[in-house]
Amino acid sequence: MPKSWRVFALLLLAVVSLTPVLALSVTAFGAAARYPEVWVSSGNGTEFLTLVRSAALWRALLTSVLLAIGTGVLATVFAFVAARTLSHATARARRIGFGAAFLPVIAPPIALGVGVQVLAIRAGLGGTTLGVLAAHVIPATGYLTLFLSGVLLSYDDALEDAARSLGAKPWTVFTRVTLPSLRLPLRQSVALGAMVSWGQLALTLIVGGGIVRSLPVELLSFVQSGDDRLGAAAALLLTIPPALVLGVAQLGARRTGVVT
Amino acid sequence: MTQAREDAAHGKSAPSVVDTHMLVLDDVSIAFGKRIGLRALSMQVRAGERMAVLGPSGVGKSSLLRAIAGLHPVISGRVLLDGRDITALAPEHRGIVYLQQTPALFPHMSVLDNVAFPLEVRGVSRAESRAQAQALLRRVQLEAFGSRRPTSLSGGQRHRVALARALAAKPRVLLLDEPFAALDPMLRAEVRDDVFALLSEISVSADSGGANDAAQAPPAVLLVTHDIDEAVALTHRVVVLLGDRVAQDDRSVAVLERPASLAVARFLGVPNLVRGVRDTNGVVTSSLGTLMSNGRAGEVWLAFRPDALHARSAERPAIAAAQSLNDAAFVAAEPTCGIVVELLERMSGAMVRIRVGTDLMLAIRDGGAITVNASVDLLVDVARVHVIDEVPRDV
Repeated sequence: MPKSWRVFALLLLAVVSLTPVLALSVTAFGAAARYPEVWVSSGNGTEFLTLVRSAALWRALLTSVLLAIGTGVLATVFAFVAARTLSHATARARRIGFGAAFLPVIAPPIALGVGVQVLAIRAGLGGTTLGVLAAHVIPATGYLTLFLSGVLLSYDDALEDAARSLGAKPWTVFTRVTLPSLRLPLRQSVALGAMVSWGQLALTLIVGGGIVRSLPVELLSFVQSGDDRLGAAAALLLTIPPALVLGVAQLGARRTGVVT
Repeated sequence: MTQAREDAAHGKSAPSVVDTHMLVLDDVSIAFGKRIGLRALSMQVRAGERMAVLGPSGVGKSSLLRAIAGLHPVISGRVLLDGRDITALAPEHRGIVYLQQTPALFPHMSVLDNVAFPLEVRGVSRAESRAQAQALLRRVQLEAFGSRRPTSLSGGQRHRVALARALAAKPRVLLLDEPFAALDPMLRAEVRDDVFALLSEISVSADSGGANDAAQAPPAVLLVTHDIDEAVALTHRVVVLLGDRVAQDDRSVAVLERPASLAVARFLGVPNLVRGVRDTNGVVTSSLGTLMSNGRAGEVWLAFRPDALHARSAERPAIAAAQSLNDAAFVAAEPTCGIVVELLERMSGAMVRIRVGTDLMLAIRDGGAITVNASVDLLVDVARVHVIDEVPRDV
């Protein structure tokens, strides 16, 4: 590909990636744009400050953080077990396992949500944070199983064989050899799982029934109320944590010499 | 020549600590997937003995070692260690350490922690295990590298650390699965010599002081390698696996000089194989002449190494590496005439391919002593000809 094409492609990528964030920032911090004015000309961030001072927002933020951490950790545990099993399975069993892991990933969230809601209501978890957590864990486990399977398929069992041959019992091998040597991908897995939960709207709305108010649910309320600036401010708040997680993951990868 | 003399001639000391079989495989069968890979294997290894396992790729050498270590299932038969059945025992309880091709050092631990690992998992205090690990690192000349991460070491250093770590476990049996295969030739020779020097050192110290202490007895060593010369040079015994079973189990030098079958001879790369016929009086007749050999009448093969062949030409009375032509008894009283078809210069010396109906390989010290298309007279040292009773269906 000619160099000019590569530069163009990179610029296009930058524009596509940054334009929404830029538009959100301007809208959130700017004053109202009056028709036929397309673009705000000035502002002082009043709406953003209003939003930040809202107790409902902090509650939603706390709910989202708890859901994200819980989903990241639980889905990583389930996905690790699944991926570990798949990495030692026969090729046929592995294909079936990957297919099963793909299902919650490719299923439309609304369809998945309706299915989970039925189960959640029967289990008495409808409209509860626990029910929403369980719902978030399902697609996250699918994603993470695929992610960790890739990691574990290239993981060398030789380390574990060596440890056992040297006299270590299975639990010691797991805690002193397996987990430490997979520390980085496991951290990445928790972060990825948390991000899957962080952006979930459909599942939270359906299973939470509007009672569980996460940040995306609050954002939807702002957008539905017609206040673009509050919506934009909430959307910005929703964007910051994934950006931070991505940055930390990149930093961790650089420090450990792992190419992600 | 006795085994002790043969071993002494190859710089090895025969085991002397415990004259009983330490490791016994009794009718052991191993599966690869759904098929039986190795069938009804039986072999014994003594304490301090070094045994090489040879065989073509895929025959199951590594699986055999892994089965002994408890890392691969045994589908039938028994594995005994010091008379105790360990077939169903978990790897960590066997006292057998398996060293694979890659050193498999734990990347998240320091070199010292790697070596201390087997001691710590046995409940030795951290301080004591680190002190012992430091002493082991001193033995492999890596005392100054204890705080380093394994990734910062060279390939040879990593192998030394892996050996120190294996010895920290005080194994009864040490399984070496092509441990030097990943190293370049120069480093390979250096690390291999270091490893076996250290193992010999352990044997000597056990002989002189700790013979009654099982933990101090030198380990039996099983070495899987593709390098036949390495196997013969470093071990007391060689087991050749062909097909799904043991094709030969013999002293190292004996395997080279007296292959049990044509298949073994071919696998070992015995370059001189000449077809012959034995009559009912034990007289074997071949294109090289006749010799006496007891056995059943029928087709046989004469197998001999290049240095058992002697060549003479009109210009040079004795070209071959043979040290004393006058002392040798030859297959034929009259030499066989051959034509030099190829001269192969190698690091270990020159080899000459000579056509006498079939092609024979001759080892010579000086490649300039012979030229292609030259006519030479050949004599074969009868004492070094091994007659293989076999109908050559697999020729």
